[in-house]
Amino acid sequence: MPVKRLLYPLYQLGNPQLRIFRPSWFLTLVRPGKEQPPDTVQFRIPMEMTKCDVKNYLEKIYNVPVGAVRTRIQFGSNKKRNHLNQKVKQPDFKVAYVQLAQEQTFTFPDIFPEKERVASEGSMDELQEQFMENEKQRQKRDPRRGGVTEWFGL
Amino acid sequence: MATSSSAGRVLTLCKQFQNVFRISSAITTQHGSSALTKYQPHLHREKSPLAALSWYSPSSSVGQCRALHTTISRRGLDEFFDAPENWGESNVKSGAPWTAKQLRTKSNEDLHKLWYVLLKEKNLLVTLEQESKRQRVQMPSPERTRKVERSMIRLETVVTERETALRLLQTGQEKGRPGAWRRNKCGHIYWYRFKEYAIPWYMNRRYKRKPFFTPKFVQPHIRLRIEKHIRQKARNASLERRTRAELKEKFPQVKVSES
Repeated sequence: MPVKRLLYPLYQLGNPQLRIFRPSWFLTLVRPGKEQPPDTVQFRIPMEMTKCDVKNYLEKIYNVPVGAVRTRIQFGSNKKRNHLNQKVKQPDFKVAYVQLAQEQTFTFPDIFPEKERVASEGSMDELQEQFMENEKQRQKRDPRRGGVTEWFGL
Repeated sequence: MATSSSAGRVLTLCKQFQNVFRISSAITTQHGSSALTKYQPHLHREKSPLAALSWYSPSSSVGQCRALHTTISRRGLDEFFDAPENWGESNVKSGAPWTAKQLRTKSNEDLHKLWYVLLKEKNLLVTLEQESKRQRVQMPSPERTRKVERSMIRLETVVTERETALRLLQTGQEKGRPGAWRRNKCGHIYWYRFKEYAIPWYMNRRYKRKPFFTPKFVQPHIRLRIEKHIRQKARNASLERRTRAELKEKFPQVKVSES
C-alpha cells in the first residue's frame, strides 16, 4: 500500500483534530505474549496512530466499546547480523492495549485447529503413506513360525 | 441475404427474451436475499468481500444496483478473524480483486462503504498472517492480501479521479494542494506546496526568513552548473557512440538496435 502522508490541519477548537474519510491504517490483533486481564486486547498499530485514534477507530468502524487505551513502542531487535556481519534492524512497532468497556471480555481464539487431513487422490503424500504401510506389513514377523526366533531355521 | 437477415432478427429476439429472463431472475434472488437479511443479519459476513464480488458485479444486469445491501453485520472483535468454518483450512476461496472499471460505475457512497469492507478484510488478513507467523504454520491463501491491496489502490485512484474532476470544474485547480513554482537561493526551480498558517505571511517571521529568491552572485554558479550538466551529457553520449563503434568493429554482422 502506498502510504499517503497525512497533512495535519491547523489546530481548531473542537475534537477530533484529524478527520479522515478513508483511513489507511491497519490494526493487527495479536495474541498477548504475557498474560493480560480478560478484558484487555492487544493490537499492533501503525506508528502514527495515537490513543484517541485507536479509540475512535474501534468504536466507529468495529462498534466495540472501548474503555481505555494504553500504548507503548516496541523496539525491534538489531542483534541479528547479516552475511557481512553488519547489524540488521527489525522494524519497530507500536503496541496498544485496549481495555474494553461494558464488562466485555475477549480471548484470542485458536484459529489453526488440528483438522483431519485427508491426502488427495494420487498425490505424493498418499503414495508415501501407502509405501510406509506396505513396509510395515513386510517387516512383520511370519505368524506361521509361532514364537521361534529368526536366527533358528533354514 | 433474406435468410441471413431473418436469422439475425430471430437472434435479437432471443437475446431480448434472455435479457428479460435474466432481469426477472435477478430480482427474485434479491427478494430472497433481502428476506434473509431481515432475520439473520450476520449471515452476510460468511462470504468474504472478494467472494461476494459476483453479487455486486455491474455486468450481470440493470437491477443489480440494489444488491449492494446496506445492512451492517457487526460482530465486534470477531471481525478480526475469518469465519469459524474457515479455521484450519489450508485453502480459502476468494474472488478476483475489484477492477477500476467496475469501481467507476459505483457511486461515491458505495465506494466509501466498500473502502471499509476492504479495510476490515485487510485487518483480518494481517491478523491471520501474524498469528500464522507466531505458530509457524503456513498462512492459508496468502494471495488474498495482494488482492485486497490492489482493490484498495484502485479505489483510491478512482476517488482521486473524481475529486480532481470536480475541483477542475469548480475552481480550475489541477492539484488538491495548491502550490507555485519558486526558486531557492541556489537557483533551483521547484514546486513549492502551500501550507496552512494561522497568521498572514507578512506577520509570520519564520515564513519571511525563507529565501525564495536567488542572489545576483549565484548567477555564474548557475551557469557553471548548466555547463557541467551539458558536459556530462555529452560525455555519456560519446561513450555510448564509442562502445557502439567498437562493438561494430568486433562483430560486424551483429545488428544493434538503436537507442
